[in-house]
Amino acid sequence: MATEKFRILDHTADIGIMAWGKTLAKLFANAALGMFSLIGELDRVENRFTTQVAVDGNDYEDLLVTWLNELLYLFEAEGVLLKEFTIQDLGQYYLKGIVSGEPIDVAKHTIHRVVKACTYYEVKVEKIRPQLWRAQVYFDI
Amino acid sequence: MAEVWNGPLRKLDDWRWIIPREYKKGMLVEGIIYASERMIQAIRKDQAPEQVANVACLPGIVGRSMAMPDIHWGYGFPIGGVAGTDVEEGGVISPGGVGFDINCGVRLLKTQLTEDDVKPYLEKLVTVLFRNIPSGVGSEGKISFSLQDLKKAMVEGAQFVIKKGFGFPHDGEYIEERGALRGADPEMVSAKAMERGKDQVGTLGSGNHFLEIEVVERVFRPDIAAVFGLFSRQVLIMIHTGSRGFGHQICTDYLEKMQSAMGRYGIKVPDRQLSCASFDSPEGQAYFAAMACAANFAWANRQLITHWVRESFEEVFGRSAHHLGIEVLYDVAHNIAKIEEHVVEGKKRKLCVHRKGATRAFGAGEEGVPEVYRQVGQPVLIPGDMGTGSYILVGTELAMQETFGSTCHGAGRMMSRSEADRVSRGRDIPSELLRKGILVIAESKATLREEIPEAYKDVGEVVKVVEEAGISKRVIYARPIAVIKG
Repeated sequence: MATEKFRILDHTADIGIMAWGKTLAKLFANAALGMFSLIGELDRVENRFTTQVAVDGNDYEDLLVTWLNELLYLFEAEGVLLKEFTIQDLGQYYLKGIVSGEPIDVAKHTIHRVVKACTYYEVKVEKIRPQLWRAQVYFDI
Repeated sequence: MAEVWNGPLRKLDDWRWIIPREYKKGMLVEGIIYASERMIQAIRKDQAPEQVANVACLPGIVGRSMAMPDIHWGYGFPIGGVAGTDVEEGGVISPGGVGFDINCGVRLLKTQLTEDDVKPYLEKLVTVLFRNIPSGVGSEGKISFSLQDLKKAMVEGAQFVIKKGFGFPHDGEYIEERGALRGADPEMVSAKAMERGKDQVGTLGSGNHFLEIEVVERVFRPDIAAVFGLFSRQVLIMIHTGSRGFGHQICTDYLEKMQSAMGRYGIKVPDRQLSCASFDSPEGQAYFAAMACAANFAWANRQLITHWVRESFEEVFGRSAHHLGIEVLYDVAHNIAKIEEHVVEGKKRKLCVHRKGATRAFGAGEEGVPEVYRQVGQPVLIPGDMGTGSYILVGTELAMQETFGSTCHGAGRMMSRSEADRVSRGRDIPSELLRKGILVIAESKATLREEIPEAYKDVGEVVKVVEEAGISKRVIYARPIAVIKG
């Protein structure tokens, strides 16, 4: 489990993910990776687009949802598939990071589905043991 | 897999099941699920009934927390959920009670063509439609609105694009709210939402959204069908889409705002996705004004697609859309919150009615129903899944008394996407559908597999329940002959 970054959770209409990370920063990065893996095939996504992201929230759960929704905004407004997420600063309750990926090219990239949004339904961010954080989140598909 | 729900369900009659108030602390009203005995077993398989109970905790809720027979597990509200709050008694508005795809809905176009007229040209027609109507993930429209035009569309909805020449002048008469929900204020919409919206107007999108060509197969009530202008073997076109990324962003923005507002107002709800504020609060008012912008965007969207459907038919048949009789039968929203007056416990009250995967189904004589249909009630458009076709129902007086004039919205999913993926692996879905007489063209094969017919409940059973319960009546059933998916 220590090496697993995320896992898909079944839901009748939508899809959830559970993500893990040794640190909160890793957890947030892995949750983002999990979300983009639902959207498309990331193997062939190269590093041609980089941007800075900064978000805040009321608590870690709110911060996670806001972070993922900010990335979905980038996906749609900039038309980019993201695959690398580096969290530079994470506090109570704000986050700054650099994300990178590639503008979508339908000839090159496989898109699985549109993730409409990240919801607050059953959202969880927990430290389950020393050096292991776990998050759960559901998406509207 | 999802947990089974073991809560109490008291059988009221064969079609109504009550979740008592005592089930959960905080429930202000009881819950009710409209379903057959057989469906109830399936409904218990996940947490949808718990979501009905959670909605019953919303401040100001009156009547019952309702779920239509197409109920399935959602986030916050169940899909198929209906809840009314009394806005004059501090009742709340909840963005989660509308959902991300604000004014996702259905428009139905009727024609004077029959199946025999269309069959020989079907392949060509589908190709032309697919070319003319942008669909799929990240699809951009054929037109891009300037910010000024986008703001006009937010306020005037379908009426704005009709004025721009995309439609017949009378199309607006046959749209819920005449295609322009009042109270929209573009100032309440974020720059991000506008950025996502400006290129997406006039696009079908992906997922469960589609455009379908159908043939009237069965007429249940010829008298009402005649009022709706429907006849046996008639070709219909159904458009199912919503407010695209524009609505998604508005919901996202306001859910975030409501998280903070709830703390300020001391509101507690059992699920954060149900976050809300009283309708009269600044946050409640701002959300309603922004939501109305998204609702109007969606009506503008379905209007533009209507125009391109007409152009496509004109191209294939070499006759004008007028001549082909391509008219809007009706257009309904199935993800929306509206201010409506309803009688609750003998008293007329002003309610904020949330319909999340539920359709307005006003009965005869109601003012909100277009004049030509008023003597019989509102047409209710119920799309099935890809393989099974659609029903047109009519609203009833009992719905006015019992469900704030609401009914089901579709088949309702019963299989998760990963399960659908498992059972459809290696299958050629387009060929399977073609064998059933349905031509399918899709942007994405993955979408087709997630949307396989067996992933959905039987829409026939869903409409049977609403008919038996008396909250709407079947008018016609239409069988699909072609489907365009994003």
